[in-house]
Amino acid sequence: MSLDAASALGLSIRVAIAATVLNALIGIPLAYLLARRSFRGRALVDLVVTLPLVLPPTVTGYYLIVLLGRRGWLGGPVYALTGWSVAFTWYAAVIAATVMALPLLVRTARAAIESVDRELEKAAFTLGRSEWRTALEVTLPLARNGIVAGLVLAFARALGEFGATLMLAGNIPGKTTTVPLAIYTAVQTGEMNEAILLVLALTALSCLVLVLAGRLGARAT
Amino acid sequence: MRHRFSVEIKKQLPGFALDVSWTAGDGVAVLFGPSGAGKTLTLQCLAGLIRPDAGRVVIDDRVLFDAAAGVNLPPQQRRVGYVFQSYALFPHLTVAGNVGFGLRDRSRSERERRVAEVLERLDLGGLADRRPSELSGGQRQRVALGRALAIDPALLLLDEPLSALDAPLRRALRDELRSILSGWGTAAVLVTHDFTEAYRLADRIIVYENGRVIQAAPRSELLWQPASEAVARVMGLRNVLHGVVVKSMPDRIQIAWRGHTLEAVNSPTRTYLPPPETPIAFFIRPEYVRLVRKDRSLDAAHHMNRMRGTVVGETDFGTVWSLRLRLDTPGEPVQGDFDLEVEVPHLVYEILEIDRDRQWDFSIHRGSIHVLPT
Repeated sequence: MSLDAASALGLSIRVAIAATVLNALIGIPLAYLLARRSFRGRALVDLVVTLPLVLPPTVTGYYLIVLLGRRGWLGGPVYALTGWSVAFTWYAAVIAATVMALPLLVRTARAAIESVDRELEKAAFTLGRSEWRTALEVTLPLARNGIVAGLVLAFARALGEFGATLMLAGNIPGKTTTVPLAIYTAVQTGEMNEAILLVLALTALSCLVLVLAGRLGARAT
Repeated sequence: MRHRFSVEIKKQLPGFALDVSWTAGDGVAVLFGPSGAGKTLTLQCLAGLIRPDAGRVVIDDRVLFDAAAGVNLPPQQRRVGYVFQSYALFPHLTVAGNVGFGLRDRSRSERERRVAEVLERLDLGGLADRRPSELSGGQRQRVALGRALAIDPALLLLDEPLSALDAPLRRALRDELRSILSGWGTAAVLVTHDFTEAYRLADRIIVYENGRVIQAAPRSELLWQPASEAVARVMGLRNVLHGVVVKSMPDRIQIAWRGHTLEAVNSPTRTYLPPPETPIAFFIRPEYVRLVRKDRSLDAAHHMNRMRGTVVGETDFGTVWSLRLRLDTPGEPVQGDFDLEVEVPHLVYEILEIDRDRQWDFSIHRGSIHVLPT
């Protein structure tokens, strides 16, 4: 394996892990809120989170540039203040992967949380548990299978992210070139051996993740 | 310890209004009535899971809810144990984990001691490490009870605790539940729509109908003196009939019905003296109507309120037969095609050969005709 291919694989795994951790931190509380609370703007939050699932990744990527780019709504002021922009860094790849993977986790986890019997939560309330403790001790443990499944989907999605990553992070070898981007580049430049190697590596990695997830799911039931 | 609690709840839901007020004390108060009468809603208001629109809930001088004063303790602070209809055991925790769930604020050793004590008392000693899915229906019920009792609740709420069980187990557990409740001495409110269950488990029965309380009384008073026709119907009493008062005295009431003058005992604890010509409702339990045997000489003193009728229909319930009798007096029958439902044991049906012989004299003791004041 060439140096570039190895660095792409390493980067992809790092990006996918970081994106999955971010997904867990953002997505699980979000799924709980959407499943169990009614609040103003709930439908809007649901819509915004789900949108990347149906939009072309390049469109999602474009929005991310508008938001985070050097002249973006958020990215602009940050650049003006610090001279630093997230665009074209490996953080950008993480953000793109996170946004693209989030709907998969939120939807799966939300369905799992909604299927937890509310009487169990009521029972916990009468036994002295706050809503917060009840979520941690009853609801989320019982929704565990769905949440784990959602995290696996999110990881796989993050691993394979292409369009939005290309838009926000670019394709800088050794810096933001993840495996899918490296495969594209290799095919474009006729380096078929490199392409096949990366395709097989990504396939093997995805299979491994699915098998591990299956084991986890089986143990949890 | 003497318990005393009073409940006053108003709650408006789409298409349903709950407006109840009752009190209870030591022992078991049963909320009895048809499905959708507001019984479970009342329990949820008592537990703080639903906020009433108005009213006041006081348990042993502790105000749990008072709309006027703006008091509404959250369920976490009410110390009210709740046994759900489905038991709502935590499937991911063991029996010990379930029973100890409400004891989080106690030290580990004290929690373990309390859990062991509760399991012991409920005969669940060997099952501490089992999961709910590994238990029988009866064991689940006891775990649910134990979980609610472990927190030493000021009040125990039970929502149809026997409905998840099949019939033979239901009977056995009904009596077991009664002895657990009386042994534990916790004041309890139990919901059921089954009158036998209500009677077996209750000290006091509160009859619900369509979001209102139509009678609240000790169980035997309810059984023998339902307050109104509505209560009689909710209890599923048969032969609820309408007549006209002929004469009323403190100990007797005479009622004109279907061409006969029936004599009924007036309620000993009520002074109900309706004037003549007042319409009056009453009921006759089918098993208390006595057929007069044709092969014996008639002992008139034994048979009061005598009438004659024809069997126009019958239903075989196995050990008893239900006969539908139409009186021979002129006029339309009052219950569709018959006037009176009569229940006789299977053996009597065979001995008297009722399948062949359809014309019968029968009598009703005045103590078996129950007046329903409105």
